[in-house]
Amino acid sequence: MQDEESLVRRAQEHDQEAFARIYEEYFDKIYRYITLKIGDAVEAEDLTQQVFLNSLRSISSFRWRGKPFSAWLYRIAHNQVVDYLRKKKKVTVPLEETLVSGSDNPQQSAERKLDIEQVLSAARHLTGAQREVISLRFTSDLSIAQVAEVMGKSQGAVKALQHSGIVALRRALSVTQNE
Amino acid sequence: MNNKEFDNILNECLERLLVEGESLEQCLARYPEQAAELKPLLETALAAREASAIQPRPDFRARARYEFNSALKETAAVRSRTSWGWFPRWATVAAVVLVLVLAGGGTFAAADSSMPDSPLYSVKLATEQVRLTLTPSQMGKAGLYAQLADRRVAEIAYMANKGDTRQVELITQRLDRHLALLTVAVLAQRGDEAPVLMAPPEEAGAPPETTPPATYEPPPSTTEALPGPELAPQPGKDWGGSGDSARNVNQAQLRDTLLSDAARNQSVLQQALDEGPESTREALRRALAVSEDGYEEALEALE
Repeated sequence: MQDEESLVRRAQEHDQEAFARIYEEYFDKIYRYITLKIGDAVEAEDLTQQVFLNSLRSISSFRWRGKPFSAWLYRIAHNQVVDYLRKKKKVTVPLEETLVSGSDNPQQSAERKLDIEQVLSAARHLTGAQREVISLRFTSDLSIAQVAEVMGKSQGAVKALQHSGIVALRRALSVTQNE
Repeated sequence: MNNKEFDNILNECLERLLVEGESLEQCLARYPEQAAELKPLLETALAAREASAIQPRPDFRARARYEFNSALKETAAVRSRTSWGWFPRWATVAAVVLVLVLAGGGTFAAADSSMPDSPLYSVKLATEQVRLTLTPSQMGKAGLYAQLADRRVAEIAYMANKGDTRQVELITQRLDRHLALLTVAVLAQRGDEAPVLMAPPEEAGAPPETTPPATYEPPPSTTEALPGPELAPQPGKDWGGSGDSARNVNQAQLRDTLLSDAARNQSVLQQALDEGPESTREALRRALAVSEDGYEEALEALE
């Protein structure tokens, strides 16, 4: 996003257009991040909405201290997910009502949906930290440095988690595909 | 080669593959010695990338955008007209529903008492949104959110009795949101009296917990509340007045109402928990926690 700092400052000054642009920039990414984290595309909707309401309520507390705004926003999302999982203590799946992008071809869409369902299912076999890294890297497109900021870990630790997470995901995917 | 070196190579390949658009073969050609180990990992990363095709449903996206914009308008000091162009479809829907509401009609009366398993329920939700839009004062909105919370609790009890855990969970999320927005409205109203709200003494830049304190400077409220016909305030529940004394009275009334609502709704949910099907109990416990926390936060804001 161009000149994010300026945009965030405007949002902190209650500029509705600025906040709307931040919302549009991050809404889908946060939604995907939460969906992969909890494995439930429908419940991820309300959690995503709550993340943005919470960010609206607390954006004045955000301070530029060398960390990107995205790290702050994903941290809110992370807290929301942790709160949700603590209360729910179980995860469910369905992806029936959720759409996938990128194809008008029904067969391609169906195949892609199947692939996504397999990834979501396999992701449940990862540790929390592995799932966090995989989600931030591959569905939210954050760099290693950004993921490290969000998770409060070193870049080396994030790279190691990325490696072990992909290995675990591969193992889980091969099990899923063989079932 | 140690693990750290391999982690770095893997990451570099991922950057080239996913960010720079190199092909898998090009990536592997750069590291022939590690190609055999890298190949399955990069293929898995590409599969994981498929999950980035997940998109929110259009109707959810529109609803979320509309509700977020409503919250934004409640808290923003700058009146930006461009935001209205931000959700033209919902604005149109809201306008149509508004006309129908003002015109009256049996459908809306029926929708108003409908439950989530009714085809009219979506009309009920849309109507509520219109009423919120028509209520410019913060205290008016707070009162409306209190009434909506009441409705959600009744719906939770109803759906729990039917054994529909999924609906109980979804409505609980709505209840959570209503109570959070109720608090936002109360804080915004307080902001009318004290224009500068101090930032909380938390670590600078620290992200909030899931229910963070509001630290914005809310907009002044200059107009009376204009509640819709079905959700019109009951006697003693007119929170939309202006002026300091009226505001103090209104805040006191709202506080009394919330105390009463909190106790009654806890009782309703507890009864549903005691008498409802086993399958809904976990969801009902969560609803109880959401209700307790939400009312507590709103009452604290009124202190």
